[in-house]
Amino acid sequence: MDIIGPVLVAGMTTGALYALATLGLSLVWGSLGMLNMAHGTLLTLGGYAAFTAASQLGWPVPVAVLAAAAVGGLIGALIFMLVAYPLSRRSPETFETTIMIATFGVALTLENIVLRLYGGQPLGQPLSVGGSISLGRFVLPWQNLVIIIAAIALMAATALFLARTKAGRAIRATAQNPDAAKLLGVPVARVYLQVLILSGILAGVCGVLVSSITQLSPSLGADPMLKAFIMCVVAGLGNLPGAIITSFALAIVEAVVQFLAGARWGFPALLAIVILVLIRRPGGLFGRVEMRRL
Amino acid sequence: MAEPIGSSCLAVNGLVTGYDARNVLTGVSLSLNSGELVTVVGPNGHGKTTLLRAISGLLPVRKGSVSLNGRAISGLPAHRVAANGVIHVPQGDLLFAGMSVLENLLMGAYLDSDQVAVARRLDEVFSLLPKLAERRTQIAASLSGGERRMVGIGRGLMMKGSVMLIDEPSLGLAPIVIEQIYEVIARLKASGRTILLVEENPARVADIADRIHLLDNGAFVWSGEPAVLLQGDELLATYLGG
Repeated sequence: MDIIGPVLVAGMTTGALYALATLGLSLVWGSLGMLNMAHGTLLTLGGYAAFTAASQLGWPVPVAVLAAAAVGGLIGALIFMLVAYPLSRRSPETFETTIMIATFGVALTLENIVLRLYGGQPLGQPLSVGGSISLGRFVLPWQNLVIIIAAIALMAATALFLARTKAGRAIRATAQNPDAAKLLGVPVARVYLQVLILSGILAGVCGVLVSSITQLSPSLGADPMLKAFIMCVVAGLGNLPGAIITSFALAIVEAVVQFLAGARWGFPALLAIVILVLIRRPGGLFGRVEMRRL
Repeated sequence: MAEPIGSSCLAVNGLVTGYDARNVLTGVSLSLNSGELVTVVGPNGHGKTTLLRAISGLLPVRKGSVSLNGRAISGLPAHRVAANGVIHVPQGDLLFAGMSVLENLLMGAYLDSDQVAVARRLDEVFSLLPKLAERRTQIAASLSGGERRMVGIGRGLMMKGSVMLIDEPSLGLAPIVIEQIYEVIARLKASGRTILLVEENPARVADIADRIHLLDNGAFVWSGEPAVLLQGDELLATYLGG
């Protein structure tokens, strides 16, 4: 069964990418009740930012990755300041609907800007590592290993930040009870801004990782965004640990289905799981109905 | 009846506020001197919680003013009012349900970056509410009603502030637990805290209140000493339905 290894590696790699994309999406949903339809576009922008920094400006690899993170964080901040904050002030009752439509508009706009600037043809992401290590008969490409380690490291850092720092505690408190947080002196709007910056940074780096095993194109983030949304729904929106576990589990299921039944059956299999889960547990695997907690 | 600003710790003047098109409070004035415990009583749905929410900035003030130690705080967003020194222990506790007792308490000290002072206040809270020390690692959602109330009060005590607003601390609790909570409030008053307390039942606060305001239909219909209110059965009968 030499094939189990590669299938598992493929599943773990996409799982790590899905989990990272899901973390950013879930973080914003859990704290603001905002489904950020432009989250995938933040991945795309991160990928292109790293490409520009590395191959056009000739910056070293770590700086290019930082550039991707910075662009993601910056656009995340702008989405909050120019779109989410004004909308939530004007009509808090309808925010959850209007912000979906508004960020979808942001996504379309930004994607078309990328299309104008870089063209529609796929570009190669220069930030990739060649070669592989073999452990016995088990061959593990360096690129996959880098992706898995980087994604897990970023998720662990985010978890530590939320669990152990004062700013992280304020983010969780605000997500659980914004009114109580305000009464204790937490500037809630600034906390929301921090959440969008954090989510944008994660998305920017995630975009670099995704493009390193595929190619750069203006729709780079669309597939991870769709999968992240699926993970969020299956896990229960806003539940971070649940979303990460679900991402790895479903990505491995997808890889196995793709191997056994053919690549085109991977996505239908995921959708079938979503339908089954939602029929049995409308709040998601880890969610209770109406649960929104970090 | 404007009351003098400056001599009082918290002063509310002609406060009008409400939700949507409806005014819930139609002109409320009160003042608290440092170290006083003043109570607002009245039937549910007549604006007691609304008054506290307006003072602490969760609800915009439509007319009138609120000032703290002579400084105007009406119009400020809630987190700035808190930074100015208004502690609000809200109705129903509004705890951070997924966090431990300790984390809830530490959130109370969010504005304080002096770790030594925070640790000292935490010790004070634990000695006033020893139950919380036992429960410090427990998740707030798993506490009993009385314990939750204590976390709410303890979280407020972790804040630095000059006045404490406490909204119906007896709500939903068993009589014996209510007694425990009121013992805590009596000790807070004895330690010199300035407290504005909202309660439905005047008999419950008669022993500790310096003054009572009776709120009915968005305005004070009677203000004075608790002993007088309890003697005037007619008033109680009229406004509280006996």
